Parts: sequence; C-alpha cells; structure tokens
Amino acid sequence: MAWGVVYYMTNAGKVPAEEFLDSCPAKVDARFAAVLDAVRNAPPPQFSGGGYWEAMHGDMGGYYEIRLTGPGRRQYRLFCVLDNGSPKELRKRGFARPQIAVIAGMVKDSGTKFTNRDYARVRKLGSEYLGHLPRRISV
Amino acid sequence: MARLLDTTKHDRRLARRLKEDPEFRAEFERQRRQIAQIDSVVRQLDELRKEAGMSKAELARAIGREPSSIRRFFTADVNPELKTVAAIADVLDARVEVIPHLA
Repeated sequence: MAWGVVYYMTNAGKVPAEEFLDSCPAKVDARFAAVLDAVRNAPPPQFSGGGYWEAMHGDMGGYYEIRLTGPGRRQYRLFCVLDNGSPKELRKRGFARPQIAVIAGMVKDSGTKFTNRDYARVRKLGSEYLGHLPRRISV
Repeated sequence: MARLLDTTKHDRRLARRLKEDPEFRAEFERQRRQIAQIDSVVRQLDELRKEAGMSKAELARAIGREPSSIRRFFTADVNPELKTVAAIADVLDARVEVIPHLA
C-alpha cells in the first residue's frame, strides 16, 4: 500500500515545508517530489528513493532527509518523519494510512554546515507535529 | 472516532506543478526514471541475497564490510556506492550491466 505525503502546519497556519519547496528552483522542487513519490510507493524498510533519501542519526535520530544538490552546488535538504502505526493509532492521528510527514526544508551553500540551532528548529517543528492528535497538516 | 483528515494536499500540489510547469514536469519524470533504476538494482541484489539463503551479516563478511553497513545499504539509510553494488553483485554471482535503450 502506498503511503500518503502530508505537510506539517504550525499553530500560526504556516507550512514550513511547502514554503520551502515553493522557494526552490523548479528542478529542485521536482526532484524532491520524485524522491517522495518513490519512497511513498516503496516505504521503509524497503530500499527506496535512489539514494537521496537517508535516515538521520544522533540528535536527528527518527528523522529522514532528502539530500539534493541544486544550482551553484547549493545543498537542499527536506526533513521528514514517518508517521506509521496500527490502524487504530493512525485513525487517532486522522489518517487512513501511514504518512510521510514533511516537516521543513533548509538550504546552504556548498562547504558550509547547518548549525545546531538550525537542526533544533527542525526538531521543534517535528515535535510539534508529533505532539498533536489529530495531526495538524496543510489541507 | 477521530475524523479523517484531508491528506490530498501533496497530490494536488504535484498535479498542479506537473500541469503548469514544463521544466518541473520534465525533471520530475527524468528523476523518477533514474530513481527507479537505482532502487531496482538494490532491490534485485536483496532478492538475490535471499535466494542464495545468505544473511546480511554473511554477505557483509563476504565483501569485508561491517554487518551494519550492509543493513543500512538495503534499507536506504545510506547512499549506495557503486563499488559496494559491484562487490555485492560479484559475491551473489551476478553483475551490474548498463543496457542502452534501443533506437
């Protein structure tokens, strides 16, 4: 069964991942969409996503990122969590099937690093998403 | 019982982008083809491993790698390296081929 793809929406009604994707060059946006398409159709633990989809570790354990290189070698990242569980649990979250929840995205120049604060911001958004029943998503 | 949420936003956004932006559509289709090829190679290797009755740990030992690295290889936790693909194919008595499309 193919999973769904949802975008987290904040309390203030902002949708960080969607805003990020809208700001990306068309080709980068398309590549993110192609990776999401592959992963939703063959979700973990299967191999999927052409190597662009990777599990994160350390403080970011539990998150997955799509890693792309865009124009000018800029590094684009899209951060996701897998929202899976029993049918009963999914129903409480408002879902009929498991979802890839897209939390946020970031971009950096080649050779630079995201800061701990950058990652903490993603984790904060992810925690907010996971802390709501039913989930708060962009519709 | 909780009400089901409308989870169609991504699909609607994708459909709109595919319809409105030829550059987006061309890149999406190109990437889908490329990703499908890579995913197919890794999944075929996993199928060959299972047919050979080989555990991931045994496969890892056969190519001189840590079992954890092979577990990650088959579950998309890492970007697959071509040299690892070739080494696994060799151990499983297979080879990686590039087949040109017919003109």
